Amino acid sequence: MEEQQEVEQFMVPIGPQHPALKEPGHFLITVDGEIVTNAVVRLGYAHRGIEKATEERNWVRNLYLLERICGICSHIHATAYCLGLERLAEVEAPPRAQAIRVLVAELERIHSHMLWLGVAAHEAGFDSLFMYSWRDRETVMDLLENLTGNRVNYSANVLGGVKCDIDIVQADTIFMALEFLQERTRHYLDVVTSDAMFLQRTRGIGVMTRLQAEVLGVVGPTARASGVHRDIRAEAPYSAYPSYPVRVVCEEKGDLEARFVVRINELFESYRIIRLILEDLPPGELREKMPRRIREGETVSRVEAPRGELFYFIKSNGTDKPERIKVRTPTICNMMSVVKLAIGHQLADVPMILAGIDPCFSCNDRMIILERSHAKQEVWSWERLRQHGIEYYHGNHS
Amino acid sequence: MRFATMLSDVLPSLFKSPMTEMYPFERKEPPVHLRTLPSWKLEDCTGCGLCAMDCPSQAIEMIVLDKKAKRFVMCFHVDRCTFCAQCIYSCRQGCLEMTPENWELATLNKNALTLYYGDRVDVEEVLATAASSKDAQTTAG
Repeated sequence: MEEQQEVEQFMVPIGPQHPALKEPGHFLITVDGEIVTNAVVRLGYAHRGIEKATEERNWVRNLYLLERICGICSHIHATAYCLGLERLAEVEAPPRAQAIRVLVAELERIHSHMLWLGVAAHEAGFDSLFMYSWRDRETVMDLLENLTGNRVNYSANVLGGVKCDIDIVQADTIFMALEFLQERTRHYLDVVTSDAMFLQRTRGIGVMTRLQAEVLGVVGPTARASGVHRDIRAEAPYSAYPSYPVRVVCEEKGDLEARFVVRINELFESYRIIRLILEDLPPGELREKMPRRIREGETVSRVEAPRGELFYFIKSNGTDKPERIKVRTPTICNMMSVVKLAIGHQLADVPMILAGIDPCFSCNDRMIILERSHAKQEVWSWERLRQHGIEYYHGNHS
Repeated sequence: MRFATMLSDVLPSLFKSPMTEMYPFERKEPPVHLRTLPSWKLEDCTGCGLCAMDCPSQAIEMIVLDKKAKRFVMCFHVDRCTFCAQCIYSCRQGCLEMTPENWELATLNKNALTLYYGDRVDVEEVLATAASSKDAQTTAG
């Protein structure tokens, strides 16, 4: 009997709407039994057209629009925008404002990493870690609310400085909360490095070597877990970081466990920096006057978001509105590592590998390339774009 | 290698009472820097409209009836406001302020979410104009 020569591939489509995904994204995973042989990712389902929208608003209103790119790391987006714009306008925010910006950014990093710890534990089926880490995250959310007035989208920044000041009572509250958080973080570090059941889901899973990390161009804690010493806070210190130097936290193993350890150790580093700032907060003004029209020019602003390097390109044409703002968020750099690392692993490990980069889908959906096969560039009219959409979906669904 | 590492957290929780706050029967003090409804000092306002221009959610409308006689009405849409407090920092006269009071803004009546600040006579004039234009629209429709 003649054997069947061609074995049909079995493909598992996940998303864009799927109970396991918190945000929309499409993954097409080819499997051989339980082992992943290929993976394709398709993004763009949460594209909101924010970059185009910035061109219609003045510089001040854009601050709040850009802050809403990410619901978790909102402050760092506003900081990147403010730093770029202040450089363009040749205005320097006062030292006290710079220190408060860094303080809020570090508090935000704590809340982001604790949120991630919970989400990743939940993906691994470790729901008690998820719930207790989120309970402790409330401590830092309360601190942010006390400091700025909001739990998320704090609006701590204003062009040329910050809105909120810190008094002794608030500083004491932060010191006390940090004591509690430090003790809890030690416990979580112990849990993720010693729990037998949890280690089966993390140790040796999704290993990314240092070379792979450099070739794939991953950023942030994902890269640092593979031994890549890359942190914008230390490489190109911005805002008040020159006064409060950051120690880069690295791990060599490159597996999921290393990503847990790096992020948890970064929490200790954040506690240290917050204490340094509170002990040595420079006196002075909180705001510098900003012009309404920004002189013609362009600039680049890089900051270290909780997920990695965040990049802003700002171009001004001399009016009160931007000519172009381009944002590149860390998730887009890290996303390709997921499809590479998933190959050879069990299908059940894919959600953990995806959670390992701390993905934020809405953040990274900036632009959709419609024709990848053609290298030439052209501008499409609205009618043509609409026609393309109709034909594309008609072709796919008929 | 250990097992059940979170047991030290889970077991004591079994003997604790629920953490749920019994709102609205028990009310907590709002945070010191909480941003809620802005208050407006008409006497200091010059009607420049910077607050409306810089509002990211277009929650403020500055209606200028007579600039020389300082007849301004500020229409504030509570339902659009994101409470970012940019208007307060944009105002050069310092006539806007946000305090932590009045943070319970939920209502069943949508009209209650549009507030008019200003002199009573001026507000009535603005409301009358708005009502007549609405009538005209209804007739035309």
